[in-house]
Amino acid sequence: MSTRSLPGLLPLIALLGLWQLLGSPDSPFFPAPSSWWPALFTRGQGAKIVPAVLDTIRTFGLGLFIATILGVTLGILIGVSRQVGRAVGPTFEFARALPPAAIVPVATLLLGFDEPMKVVVVVLAALWPILLNTSSGVQELPPTLLDTARSLRLSRTRTVFRVLLPSVMPAIVLGIRVATPIALVITLLVEYLTAVNGVGALVGEAQRTFQPARVYALIVIAGLISLIVNSLVRSVEDGVSRRRVGDRL
Amino acid sequence: MSVLVALAVLWEVLVRFKIAEVQFLPAPSEIAAAAQDEILSGEILGRLVHTVGVTALGWGIASVIGMGLGLLLGLSPLAYRYSMTSFEVTRAIPPITFVPAALLIFGFSLKMELVLVIYGGVWPVLINTIGGVRSIPPELRDVGRMLRLSRLETIRKVVLPAALPSVLVGLRLALSLCLVLAIVAEMVGNPAGLGNGLISARQALQPALMFVYVIVAGLLGVALNSTLRTAAKLLLPSNALKELAS
Amino acid sequence: MDNQPRYECRKLRAEVGSRRGEPRRIVLDDVSFAVAPGEFVSIMGRSGVGKTTLLRILAGLHEASAGSAVRFNGEDVSGPPEGVSLVFQDYTSSLLPWRTVAKNVELPLEGRLPIEERRARVAEALEMVGLADRADAQPFELSGGMQQRVQIARALASRPVALLMDEPFGALDALTKADLEDQLLEIFAATGTTVVFVTHDIEEAVYLSDRVLVLDGTPAKIVAEIPVSSPRPRTQMLTRESTEFLEARHRVHEVIFGT
Ligand SMILES: Nc1ncnc2c1ncn2[C@@H]1O[C@H](COP(=O)(O)OP(=O)(O)OP(=O)(O)O)[C@@H](O)[C@H]1O
Ligand SMILES: [Mg+2]
Repeated sequence: MSTRSLPGLLPLIALLGLWQLLGSPDSPFFPAPSSWWPALFTRGQGAKIVPAVLDTIRTFGLGLFIATILGVTLGILIGVSRQVGRAVGPTFEFARALPPAAIVPVATLLLGFDEPMKVVVVVLAALWPILLNTSSGVQELPPTLLDTARSLRLSRTRTVFRVLLPSVMPAIVLGIRVATPIALVITLLVEYLTAVNGVGALVGEAQRTFQPARVYALIVIAGLISLIVNSLVRSVEDGVSRRRVGDRL
Repeated sequence: MSVLVALAVLWEVLVRFKIAEVQFLPAPSEIAAAAQDEILSGEILGRLVHTVGVTALGWGIASVIGMGLGLLLGLSPLAYRYSMTSFEVTRAIPPITFVPAALLIFGFSLKMELVLVIYGGVWPVLINTIGGVRSIPPELRDVGRMLRLSRLETIRKVVLPAALPSVLVGLRLALSLCLVLAIVAEMVGNPAGLGNGLISARQALQPALMFVYVIVAGLLGVALNSTLRTAAKLLLPSNALKELAS
Repeated sequence: MDNQPRYECRKLRAEVGSRRGEPRRIVLDDVSFAVAPGEFVSIMGRSGVGKTTLLRILAGLHEASAGSAVRFNGEDVSGPPEGVSLVFQDYTSSLLPWRTVAKNVELPLEGRLPIEERRARVAEALEMVGLADRADAQPFELSGGMQQRVQIARALASRPVALLMDEPFGALDALTKADLEDQLLEIFAATGTTVVFVTHDIEEAVYLSDRVLVLDGTPAKIVAEIPVSSPRPRTQMLTRESTEFLEARHRVHEVIFGT
């Protein structure tokens, strides 16, 4: 965060300050911020935090990774072939519009309450931005590019890996950037709904056991994870676009 | 479309002849039967009306808040400088994590559902409005000054129309998000609507009924999306539509 | 009327680079000139010398440094003065894409004139640039030359006393350009408006103007002032072959390329 953006933090700091002044530590709704941190460790619950964070990150990372592989592969297929695109269009339209939350009960019923179930749900939600960006990236490639590859008599694999993928890279990375917050939100959602491990499950537990300070503390932790993950992805994206500018120079 | 039908037939065959046996996986015919019962009893309609109502109301309120605040932040460099980071940081917190907080504060109620829906819907509208207003080409602002338009005229005739495509993108994103949050809230908090229907079916171990609700939720998503897209088409000149296509 | 110049700049100095922490660069220094009512003056110079900056100062979009005097009709310029129209270099980003051609031209008149008069003015302006039949088209349906004509019509609609033009024909092909030059000369003759015209095309400057000013140096000042005495009305073929034209072109060339 640059120093230029620091003044922008004032309202948030003011809000938290006011909250601290007006809120009491044992308010059932708005416990003062100073009580949040200690609430993470009361009743011997401190040991749960780190494993939960790691769980969340693992589910999120695995889900995003699989969604990327799947999304890029399907996206290229659909982008290259108009027929495939037209055939799966309505199916995808439906699947994309399906609120991910609605998948959760079905997934738990069919797959059980475990890690693979969580990953499947995350993949089903995070897949779409990557798939759509990849396929429209492929469709918008200048036709001369593929003609060039053909006139150079490149093999099919070579064309895909040396010409197609690199030129669609910015679109793919954009898709991943859009998918990142979705994957994280859905990870937390599944954890929360199914109470299977992770930060989401901890928040749910804190809520059900009426520990508001702990709920807020966990919200802050989720926010931090989100900030870190998003800025990581953004710097990767910057790296990719910078390299492309470098290529052109 | 034909792919959908083919998939359904394949699924039916697989389940019916026990070629693939997954526990709790109903055949499409069972789902259809469950759907029929549920429609005839009026149960689905009631739940659908609830979810659509809360989503639409929450989305409407979120849009007004998001556009108003976004306009302020987009137009006033001072307001932007002294608050944008706060909004960025707050926005980064996954809205899902506020569900437990909302439950603690508002209990299992409609209010809780509505607050969540509004909260989640505000962000895309806000961010896209700010982005739309701030990314107006400086040339266009110069045109406004050169033609000696008043500040109000500039906002009405130059800034708002120029920001419109971006705002519409935000409105569309917000609508999907509002629907998701409404369903989540219904699943865990407010015992009504499609989300609650899903959970009830899950608890009663009625997989066919569950699939009915999943399908209804998906169709609702499609319907909301295409309604907005049609509205956008009416609002925008055809050259600006490309941005909205994705 | 009195002999007051339409535009008058004395010891004009301009800085750019408003980003914080960055030193402001002096682009123009000690620029002095005057433009008489009804005169057509061109401003020339290498790319980046400060032509656009100078025009933006005349238009009231950029503030000259303290100590400079910029007067329009004897009054200090602070903000876009009434009676001045600017035609931007980039027509694609200066038309409102969501408005039709006629609505774009009408924009500066809205709220200032009754509706019938607005309609009449729009029709008149579109007639002048030869676009009367495209009034209901969307800008993106038009060619580049047509879009630039819409911008000129919009500038004319408010019946300006002075018309400022920033390389208006720079991005157009030679044929369209010759066409629009002649159209501009007709409008100039018919309306008697004063024109300050920025271009990097020597032929164009000489063909259109009564006087060509050449900017050069860092910071730039006016290094030469070449009068063009070719009689008006001018025509592409005859004027460009006349001795006055060739002579003036030669002198501008000399100043700019040093030989
Ligand atoms: N907003 C700005 N910030 C920093 N530098 C600027 C800015 N605007 C212009 N400049 C600089 O001021 C100088 C003059 O720019 P100006 O646009 O007036 O040149 P010009 O003569 O119109 O060039 P061209 O013929 O290419 O249009 C240039 O060196 C340019 O880099
Ligand atoms: Mg310029």
